[in-house]
This record gives sequence, C-alpha cells and structure tokens, in this order.
Amino acid sequence: MTAPAAPAEAARPASSRRPRSGGVRRGEAGAGWLFVSPVILILGTFLFAPVIMALWVSFSDWTGRGSPFSSNVSFVGVDNYVELTTGGGLRTRDFGTALRNNTWYVLLVVPLQTALSLFLAVLVSRRILKARGFFRTAFYFPSVTSSVAITVLWLFLFSFAGPVNAIIAWFGGKGPNWFDEPRGVVHLALSGIGVTSGPDWLTQNDFLGLSWWEWLAGPSVAMSALILMAVFTTSGTFMLLFVAGLQNIGYELTEAGLMDGANGWQRFWHITLPQLRPIVFTVITLGLIGCWQVFDQIYTGTKGGPSKTTLTPAYLSYQAAFQNQDWGIGAAIAFILFLIIIVFTIFQRWVLRDRPVSRRRIRAYQTSTYAKGGAS
Amino acid sequence: MTRHTARTLLATGGLAVVTALALTGCGQGFTETPPSESGAATDLTSSDEGLTIMIGSSGDAETNAVKDAVAAWSADSGVDAEVVAATDLAQQLSQGFAAGSPPDLFYLGTDQLAGYAENGSLQPYGDMLANKDDFYDSLVSNFTLDGTFYCAPKDFSTLQLIINQGLWEDAGLTDADVPTTWEELASVAEKLTDDDTVGLVFSGEYARVGVFMAQAGGRLVSEDGTTAEADSDANVEALSYVQEHLKDGTFAYAADVGAGWGGEAFGKELGAMTIEGNWITGALGDFPDVQAKVVELPAGPAGQGTLQFSNCWGMAADSPNQQAALELVEYLTSAEQQLAFSEAFGPMPSVESAAEQWKGDNEDLVAFLDGSQYAQGVPTNKGAGEVVTDFNAQLQSLESGDPKAILDSVQSNLEAIVG
Amino acid sequence: MTSAGLTAAPAASAETAHALQPAPSRRRRFTLRSATGQVVLYGLLALIAVVYIYPFLVQVATSFKTEPEAASDPISLIPQTFTTAAYERLFLFSDFPVWFANSTAVTIAVTLGRVFFVSLAGYALARLNFRGRGVIFALVVGVMSVPTVVLLIPKFLVLNQLGMYDSYAGMILPLLVDAAGVFIMKNFFESIPASVEEQARIDGAGTFRVFWSIVLPMARPALITIVILSFQGSWNELSHFIISAQSPELTTLTKGVASLASGQLSQGTQYPLKLAAAAIMTIPVAVLFFVFQKRIMNTSEGAVKG
Repeated sequence: MTAPAAPAEAARPASSRRPRSGGVRRGEAGAGWLFVSPVILILGTFLFAPVIMALWVSFSDWTGRGSPFSSNVSFVGVDNYVELTTGGGLRTRDFGTALRNNTWYVLLVVPLQTALSLFLAVLVSRRILKARGFFRTAFYFPSVTSSVAITVLWLFLFSFAGPVNAIIAWFGGKGPNWFDEPRGVVHLALSGIGVTSGPDWLTQNDFLGLSWWEWLAGPSVAMSALILMAVFTTSGTFMLLFVAGLQNIGYELTEAGLMDGANGWQRFWHITLPQLRPIVFTVITLGLIGCWQVFDQIYTGTKGGPSKTTLTPAYLSYQAAFQNQDWGIGAAIAFILFLIIIVFTIFQRWVLRDRPVSRRRIRAYQTSTYAKGGAS
Repeated sequence: MTRHTARTLLATGGLAVVTALALTGCGQGFTETPPSESGAATDLTSSDEGLTIMIGSSGDAETNAVKDAVAAWSADSGVDAEVVAATDLAQQLSQGFAAGSPPDLFYLGTDQLAGYAENGSLQPYGDMLANKDDFYDSLVSNFTLDGTFYCAPKDFSTLQLIINQGLWEDAGLTDADVPTTWEELASVAEKLTDDDTVGLVFSGEYARVGVFMAQAGGRLVSEDGTTAEADSDANVEALSYVQEHLKDGTFAYAADVGAGWGGEAFGKELGAMTIEGNWITGALGDFPDVQAKVVELPAGPAGQGTLQFSNCWGMAADSPNQQAALELVEYLTSAEQQLAFSEAFGPMPSVESAAEQWKGDNEDLVAFLDGSQYAQGVPTNKGAGEVVTDFNAQLQSLESGDPKAILDSVQSNLEAIVG
Repeated sequence: MTSAGLTAAPAASAETAHALQPAPSRRRRFTLRSATGQVVLYGLLALIAVVYIYPFLVQVATSFKTEPEAASDPISLIPQTFTTAAYERLFLFSDFPVWFANSTAVTIAVTLGRVFFVSLAGYALARLNFRGRGVIFALVVGVMSVPTVVLLIPKFLVLNQLGMYDSYAGMILPLLVDAAGVFIMKNFFESIPASVEEQARIDGAGTFRVFWSIVLPMARPALITIVILSFQGSWNELSHFIISAQSPELTTLTKGVASLASGQLSQGTQYPLKLAAAAIMTIPVAVLFFVFQKRIMNTSEGAVKG
C-alpha cells in the first residue's frame, strides 16, 4: 500500500512534517533545497526581480543611460501613469488607440477561436470518422509554427496582389488592400448603409484621447487580417483540449438524451457542452491572457500601422522604451496591461462561475423524477 | 494555517528585498561615469581600443561603400574599426546606450539629436573638426543645439520629381511639358494615369507630402524652432491639393498601389512619376529597364520648396577612443570620400568644396543640388519624431479625412513639445 | 428503460472514455441517413482542411517562383518557371546560416538545461521533504501567471545590470527554467509509485543517485513532453531575443526573419525570399511535430486532467 501512502505523504503540509534525523532519509532536506535552487535562482532573477525593477522604473524618471538605481534618478510618483491616462497629449492618445485596438482584437478572437476549436473538436470526434489522425494533424499544424513564420506567410497571403485577393477576384469581388487599410470594419459597414459620421454625443466626448465614435470604429481591416491569423493558429491547440474533454465524457448521458428524444443540437447544447465547462473555462482564460499580450505579430508585420490601427499596448510599451527612450512610460504601460489582464481574468471567472442551482429548479427536477416513476 | 501564510509572506518579502538590494549593489558598481552635461566640450578620450561604427544602411551598395572606406582608413591609421549595419538603428542605439555599450560612431538623424544630446549620450565634437568651415551652413545649423555644434553632417539629400521617360514619351509629352506649377503637375499626372499606372506615386508620409507644404509656404515648426506652425492656411492648402488628387486617382500613395515605397512603385511602373531623394539612383539599379529623369519639383503658391534630409556621424560620450573617432570622421567627411560615397549610393556631399565636382560628375542629378537653395529641414525639437510619426499615421487616411483637423491635432502635439 | 438514464450518472463516472458504443440495431435502421451524414461530414472536414493546408503549400510553391510571377500569379501551386534564386540569395548572400546556427545552439542548450533543471525541481517538490516546499511551489505557480509582456523591459534592464546583455549567456540563461515545466514534472512524479525509490534508499543510495539512476529513466514520457515543449518554445521565441542581444552575430532565426519581413535585405516586397526563409524556419519544428505526433496530440489530455 505504498502507492497511496506516498501521495498522501506529499500532500501533508511541509511545516508539520518533522525531518527525520538519520536513517534512510538523511540529507533529504539539503538535497531538496539543492535540487530546487537552480529554479529559484533563475526564476527569481529573471522573473521576479525584473518585475520589481520595472515597477521602480515606472515610478522614476530614468532616461536610459546608466543604472536606474543610481543617484541621479529620482522618484516621480505616479507621473508616468497620470500622463498615460489623463495627460491628454500624444501619449494618452497613443495609449487609448492601443487599448481600443487590443480590446476589439480580444472581443473578436476569443469567442471565434473558442467556437471554432469546439466545432472542429466535435467534427473530429465523430465516431464514424476515419482518417481522424490526418484531420487532427492538419488542424493542429499551424499552432506548431512560430508566430514570425506565420506572420510572414500572412503578409504574403493578404498582400494586395496576394492569393486571398486573387480568390476574392475569382468570385467576382474586389479585395481590399488588407494590411494598408486603416478604416475600421464597423465604420465601413455603417458607411455601406449611409452612415458616415457619428452623432454629436459620440464624436464630442472622448476617453483617453479618442472620441467614443472612434472607439466604436471596430478593428481596422488590417487588424481583421491579424484576427484571422490568430484564430488560424490557436484553434488547433484548443481543439485538442476539447477533443480530450469530449473523449472523457461518457456516452451514457448522451444516450439517455437520445432516448428522451433530444435532437443533435439539443444534445450538444444541454448535455455535452455543460460537461465541457471546465475546458471552455481554460480555453477562454488562456485566450484572454494570450490576446492581451499580442506583440510578435505586430513587431514582425505591421509595426503598429496602418495609421496606428494595429498598435497594441504590448508593442507600445516596447516602442516607448526601446525606440523613443521613454523607459518610465514603457514600464507604466506594461503594468497597466498586467492590471487589465488580471481584471479580465477575474471578471471572466466570475461570469462563468458555477452558480448554485435555484431551489425552484431543484423542485422541478424532483417532480419530473417522480412523474417518470423511476426512483433510484 | 496562519503560520503558513505568515511564512509565505515573509519568504516572499525577504526574497524581494534581497534581490532589490543585490541589484542596487550591482547597479552602483556598473557605471561610474555620471552623464556629462550637454553642451560642455570635454576633452576627447583616447585609447588603443578599436572602433565600432553602426549605420542604418539603405542597401548593399551603402554597406559595402562604408565598409571599404573604413577598412582603408583602418589600414592607414592602424586603429581597428568595424562597421555594423543595423536592422533597426533607433532600437539598437537605444539599447546600446541603456546597456552602456553604444557604438563609437553612428548615423544620427536630425530627429534623434535632441533626445540623445539631452540625456548626455553624445559627445559634441563639431568645433574640433579640421574641416568644420566646409560644411553647408544650413546643415551645420541642423545639428547645432543650444549653440553647440554636435556632429558632422555626413551627406544630405533633397527631394525632387523623378519621371519615367518611357511612359512620359508614350503619353505624348515632351521636355516642354515638365511641370512648373501645381496645375501643370496635376494635368501631367492626369495624362500619365491609366489602368495600370498612376500619374504620381509617393510614400504617404510627411517626409514626402511635406514638399507640398513647403511649396505653399508652410512649415511644421518655425525656422528657429520655437513656434509650432502646423495649422497654418498654407499647410491646409497643400494638404487639400494632395487630397483632391488622391481622390481623383491621379496621385496615389505607394502602399495603395502595392509597393513598399515610392521608389519601388516607380521601378515597377506602378507610378509614372515619384517624389524621391538621391538614394533613388541606388534603388533603380534593381530596375534596369526603367529610364528615370530628375527634374525640379513644381513651384506652389509660394514658390519652389522641397525637404532636405541629413544624417550626421554621432559620437558616443561613453566611447573610449574618441580621438580616433574624430580622425575617422574627418576622413569620412572629406570631399574625396564623400564623392566616392555619392557615386556608390547617391547622396550629395555635405561639404561645399565638393559641389562643383559633384555637379560635373552627376549632370542628371543637378536638380537635387539646386534644391538645397530652397529646401526646408525637418523639425529637430525633442519629441518631434513622435509627433511626425503620428502625423504620418493620420496622413494615411488623408483621402477620406479632413486636412484642417489633421493639422490641428499636429499643432497641439507640437505645442506640447515646442512651447 | 427510463431508469437507465438515472443510473447513467454513476455509471459514467466508473466508465472511462468509450467512444464506440453504437447499438447495432440503430445503425442498420438509419443507414441512408448516416451515409448522407458521412458525406456531409467528410466534405466539411475536407474543405476546412484545405483552408488549413493551402497556405503552407502556397508558401513552398511561391518560394520557388520568381518575384514577378509571385505578384502576378499568386494562387497557383506550380511555378511556371521553377527557380531556386530565393534560396540561393538566402544562403549565400545573407546571414541566414548564422541565424540558423544561433537558433540551433540556443535551442539545444535550452532544451538540455531545461530538462535537467526542471526534472530536478519537480522531483524535489514531489518527493523530497524540506521546509518551505509549499512556499516554493506556490511561488512557481504564481510566477506562471505573470504575462510575458510585462517582462519585456525589465528583463532587459536586469540582463543589463548583470552584464549579460548581448551575449549567449543572456540569451540562454533566462530560458533555462520554465515554471510550466516544473509543474508538469511535479505532477508526473507524484503519479508514479514510490516503492522503487524506497527500495533503492534502503539499499543505501544517496538522493541524487536515486533521482538520476532510478526515477529519471522512469520519467521518459514526461521528459519527452518537456523536450518537445522546450524545443518548440525556444525555437519560436522572439521577444526574449529582441531584448537580450543586439549584435548581428547573435541574431537568431526568429529575429532575423522578422527583420527580413520589414524589408532589410533590400527594398521591395520580395515574397519568394521571405517565404523561403519562413519555410526553412518551420522545418525543424515540423519534423519534431511529425515524429512525436501521437505524444503531442495526447499531451493535452494530461493538461486537462492536471
């Protein structure tokens, strides 16, 4: 019975365990610390300490020369943060633009990638399917490639004279100049029905330097191409998570639903999906965290253009620090982004939490059980 | 569990304090030299160390030319020197300065001068140059801040109109039709526009559209750099002119026709004319079938106008061998060496003594040098670079935008840094 | 009959995944319907698979086209004039070989290092009892949640302060340890029985000996997972290489190809060249993927259970 005993030992809090002196476990504590020390050292130096250092830089006026801890660098309090959020100048506008772009990106990518990966997982998990491995490989392959390689490929696919526009032309349409079109899709759609400028209460009031009308412009056409790329590359990974989850669902409940006369959609929505809830949770969380940090694609491909419509806070932070020498501003942007990610994650957990079933529902289930005449 | 939580907090806090202290300790020992005050002409350092030169190259021609020149000097003077072509000059310079290991010499643009000078990264050496009187006055003033002449201009270019002679003649135009006013430019562009080609194509940024602003008599910042003038009527007039022709299809931005810049659009005959600078000669080497002719840009309502660009050889304050660097700069800015560079990749020498020789060697490109008489420089105030970047971002939607609104926002951004 | 539904819940938990449980009678009854269903299913899957595969095919095809042809005929998968000009330019006239060598060196170093350190730490956290073990584990998990973007600037500052900027050490060291890897190894070690180790200890082997000779060989599946993840992670890493080095000799593939994309080797939109670079860059990870396909596809199960 050593098997269950060992995990049980490990589960007990370390503080209550008395280290045995001598015997076969001698030197274990020392070995333990030794084994863990590389991890602590590296994580501490390159993950923990940088965060502290960046926090200091964001509260200081370091200009980029010499050490940030030297005596000529002074503490300026929340000046950098204030300038970003309420300063009203170019920096605020850039930050607002970056936030707007990234918000639309998140709003579109996360639902799309979750839905698509779930859809693919369902398709690929059908019992009657052969060549399952081939399809799974095909859908997962883009996730393996580096973001740089995919961005280069995408720049070609969606270039003005590229395959996507050629295919659209084959169907008789005319594709836009994808990566150079700065107009937002919502605005484009609205102008298609004749609305070219917003009402005064939208255009006259602004937030973070952008009018509300501009906030509602939607992702630009260039950003939309990047959104498609994100869905393309991440749907494979999440599809695998869903596939694993679907395999773990026993068939019995679905069978019961079949017998009760539920059709395919009802079976899916009321039986399968609730059981996949933890995975949906994971996928959305991972999606959120990933989308708020989009950087590689911007650095490789558009560098914020056209017209700053693919600017994201992560890239803005990099640009401010490494190109404009505004290290304090760059660090401040990074921490505000950190905060946003935490808030979104908490919000999402709250929205998707397991709510306690209301008493009315419990009574309804009990009644139907009696009605069916089967008591367990 | 309280003990456990307390232990966790203590451990975390302890870790944080220890690392912060350790880094402070490291930091103190890292740089002993305090940043030198900007403007003070301190003595130049001298040592046996080799030199690193970082350039932002426009292509293989430039990289090879600079490498050859530096190698020749190195053999002559006995000082090791290495040329590095940066993939992203601004970023690498920034990182180099922050890391305390910048290159000894580097290309420095007018827009970056103020920033680096202010945080003490630069060593001013302009007044120590043996040939300092030979540089054009306008270039010297571009690189002078607070009365200190910081660095030697390495060359300069102006923008002029480049015409595709083949397409020109095909449209039935002759030398007499070379446009000298805005109306003539518009009509010529219209004649040259057809299904595959747009009359005039140029990059959609201030560095090109600004010529029209200069021709209308407007500037972004006053000549002495103390007042923002972006929202002047002249500028509005210029942007409206460009917008009008973007809309009717006779002008186009390079990106909108599927090219990376005006030169590429011109080379691929996506545009029949373009507005570019001296570097076009090097780039057109990739398009041997295109015959290009350089003419002066037309005059606008306020006469002729164009933009002028220059980079200088920035010297790092942290460089250990500044004396040798100074000698290298004197060599690289000498008339003979600049003429050699010009032949290799196009820009004009920054020294007046080379002007006549250059005109003789480059009869086709004389228009560029003539342009220096009425050329405007780009704003050099600290932070102007970011404002221009934002201006460029707005210019990309000029076709559907409002020139006055665009210029008003540029004005307010400029006022924040110029005031 | 209906009671089967009620007892289904306890039954489901006892059963493991049973994908195939069709009642034979049902199958025969709906043969025609399921045949149409099959056609639709395969059709849909094939269409989606084309969308997923075509970009890579056109990438390889375009890398063998000439530049004008790439612009004029982008969709075709067979070049009219087959040319290797892009590859020649890439290998002979650019720093691509240097980039490839750097990426290989860094990836191998990081993978080896990670496998070693992460399994050490995972073993210690799972099996060895020492004070503060819980704290360490909590910190490791906590660190996993810090987004990478926050670390862009500060890691550069730290590397700078430590004098490791612009060196191989700066590129490799921070990547040597991965919190997720520690998590995976710890979970794995906890799931294997401790009887063999106990036996070795009773025989007098020291802790490291037990780890190295007994436990580690048993951990092959998890180690392979770590190898795959760290190979992929370090080969495809970009932002860390941007901030940790600047010399051209230290450029890795990701940074180099990214600079290609912004048009460094010459002006102009040279798609065959860029696509060739991206294609070659993808080959090693693709090979790794196809070799370890089954394991990669099944790793996610572990992630779900964990």
